[in-house]
Amino acid sequence: MTRSLRLIGIYAHRTFLEWMTWRGFLVTLVLGQCVTPVLGFAVWSAALPDASNLSTYYISLLVVQLMTVFQLDHTLANPIYRGTLSHQLVRPHSPILGTLGTCFAERLWFVIIGAPVVGLLVFLSNVPLVVANVLLALPALALAMVVRFLFTLALALTAFWTQQAHGIVAFGATLTFLIGGSAVPILYFPDPLRSVAESSPFSAMLGLPAAIASGSLNRDQVVMGYAWQAVWLAVFLIVTVVVWRSGVRRFTAVGG
Amino acid sequence: MDRTIHVHHLSMTYRVPVRQEGLGAALRSLIHRSYRELAAVDAVSFDLFAGEIVGFIGPNGAGKTTTLKMLSGILHPTGGDADILGFQPWKRQPAFLRRIAIIRGSQPIGGPVELTVMDSLRLQQLIYDVDDRAFKRNLGQLNAMLDLRTLLDRQIRALSLGERMRCGLALNLIYRPEVLFLDEPTIGMDASVVETTRQFIAAYCQETAATVLLTSHYMADVERLCRRVILMDKGTVRYDGDLRTLSERLSPYKILRVSLVGAKALDLSSFGEVDEAENGTYDIRVGRRDVPSVTARLLADFPVTDLAVLEPPLDRVIDRAYRTGVA
Ligand SMILES: Nc1ncnc2c1ncn2[C@@H]1O[C@H](COP(=O)(O)OP(=O)(O)OP(=O)(O)O)[C@@H](O)[C@H]1O
Ligand SMILES: [Mg+2]
Repeated sequence: MTRSLRLIGIYAHRTFLEWMTWRGFLVTLVLGQCVTPVLGFAVWSAALPDASNLSTYYISLLVVQLMTVFQLDHTLANPIYRGTLSHQLVRPHSPILGTLGTCFAERLWFVIIGAPVVGLLVFLSNVPLVVANVLLALPALALAMVVRFLFTLALALTAFWTQQAHGIVAFGATLTFLIGGSAVPILYFPDPLRSVAESSPFSAMLGLPAAIASGSLNRDQVVMGYAWQAVWLAVFLIVTVVVWRSGVRRFTAVGG
Repeated sequence: MDRTIHVHHLSMTYRVPVRQEGLGAALRSLIHRSYRELAAVDAVSFDLFAGEIVGFIGPNGAGKTTTLKMLSGILHPTGGDADILGFQPWKRQPAFLRRIAIIRGSQPIGGPVELTVMDSLRLQQLIYDVDDRAFKRNLGQLNAMLDLRTLLDRQIRALSLGERMRCGLALNLIYRPEVLFLDEPTIGMDASVVETTRQFIAAYCQETAATVLLTSHYMADVERLCRRVILMDKGTVRYDGDLRTLSERLSPYKILRVSLVGAKALDLSSFGEVDEAENGTYDIRVGRRDVPSVTARLLADFPVTDLAVLEPPLDRVIDRAYRTGVA
């Protein structure tokens, strides 16, 4: 266990250094991820200038987006397509450690590049931030990270079977954008749709932490939100493990 | 002697998608894909003993790389079994993977290419749990043998093919694997680097008593490093044994190299096929059994200044065997 953690740390460190070379590309990547929350922020604060927690919501959503988006279609699907995953298979540890390390490095880059954008929005909007709400949202943010990681991982692993993994991951991102509370906050969904969205994994991956942080939810809703996150975490964990195992089995069956 | 590698009826049958040419067939294949079974490795058996360096040769598509992939755990065979150092390779247990290495000339380095060579070596150190003292000692040796000094602070992405291979060797040997699978390690190298690499492999094996299965299309690699060869063709083992014996079996003739007084061209074709003639030195192909009699006649009839009996060049023997099929 400690050895695995150390290896993840090492991979994260190396990947972070490695990506120095791509800093220009990373800036565009991160700014691209900022566009929709920032747009939502601008549009909604113009449309409903009195709903101050909507501004808080979109700033929080920006943070959640930056913390939970994973480029696994590049960092994992491409090695599968190129066959270079075989190099990872012969290392004396699970290849997933490298993937995890990469994701931590990716996170760090997103934080470094995204923090100024968040800071600027907070400064411009002058929104009220309730510390208690933010603290209440932090565990939800961590859970959202894990759930979205597993979700994206499962989608990216389709690379073992199809050539379409990039499209499949992009489709998952689109659903998350539409249903997860980025296009429209889930609270503003018409009713039957709203309860569906609230219990969906997309809320658990994106909208929930932002809704909690902006104080838009009552106690019961917060509890329900956490419960759904736990459910989706368990579901995606099982799915991902199954997909990973059978994927590696297939990879080693068709030629490596 | 200890048996390091035991391979028993190992088989790999690929399922390859196939389709007829033309648009209609392309559309049909969207709905119904058809497959063909391709027996790349077919019930292959052999043993390797500790410290052996065995040449694994055979024409393109013989199944060599497929076999090496199975033995290193990258591929799950469709049949048969293998035991390496007491492990079944495709279970990929860490304790097994720590003790083996597969190095492929076509892609010698698997890690991130943005890192420097030294960074990558350090990464290997951590992945394989090499302690600092062993790391320093191994690096010192590798450095001396592969001349890495000028490469250590370079990024891998900018290395030339030969430099990459040298680094690939260093990265895989820094943890001192006991079993090495080398798949065309000298591919794309210039003549002097090839020679250093051969020397290096020989020296490494002598030093560490590693067991090596080495694939190469350059017979010089095999001649230099291996006493024993396993020859594969179309997925099966056609020969397993001494290299010399193979060349004797494959070529029923030897080369008589005679030098005669005076540079005048002579017709020696009555003794056998003349392969090369230059400045009074002739290479004559003579059946193995006829060597003594032909030699005697030559010495009696011609002013011979020098005479040598040579094995035919191995690559030519092998080339002929590949083309006509290995009996
Ligand atoms: N991933 C794969 N899927 C389907 N068929 C494959 C795959 N890899 C190899 N083959 C086929 O299996 C056969 C053996 O290939 P292999 O790569 O083992 O040959 P090889 O002896 O290494 O040849 P070479 O000297 O050209 O490297 C070939 O006919 C090849 O086309
Ligand atoms: Mg090959």
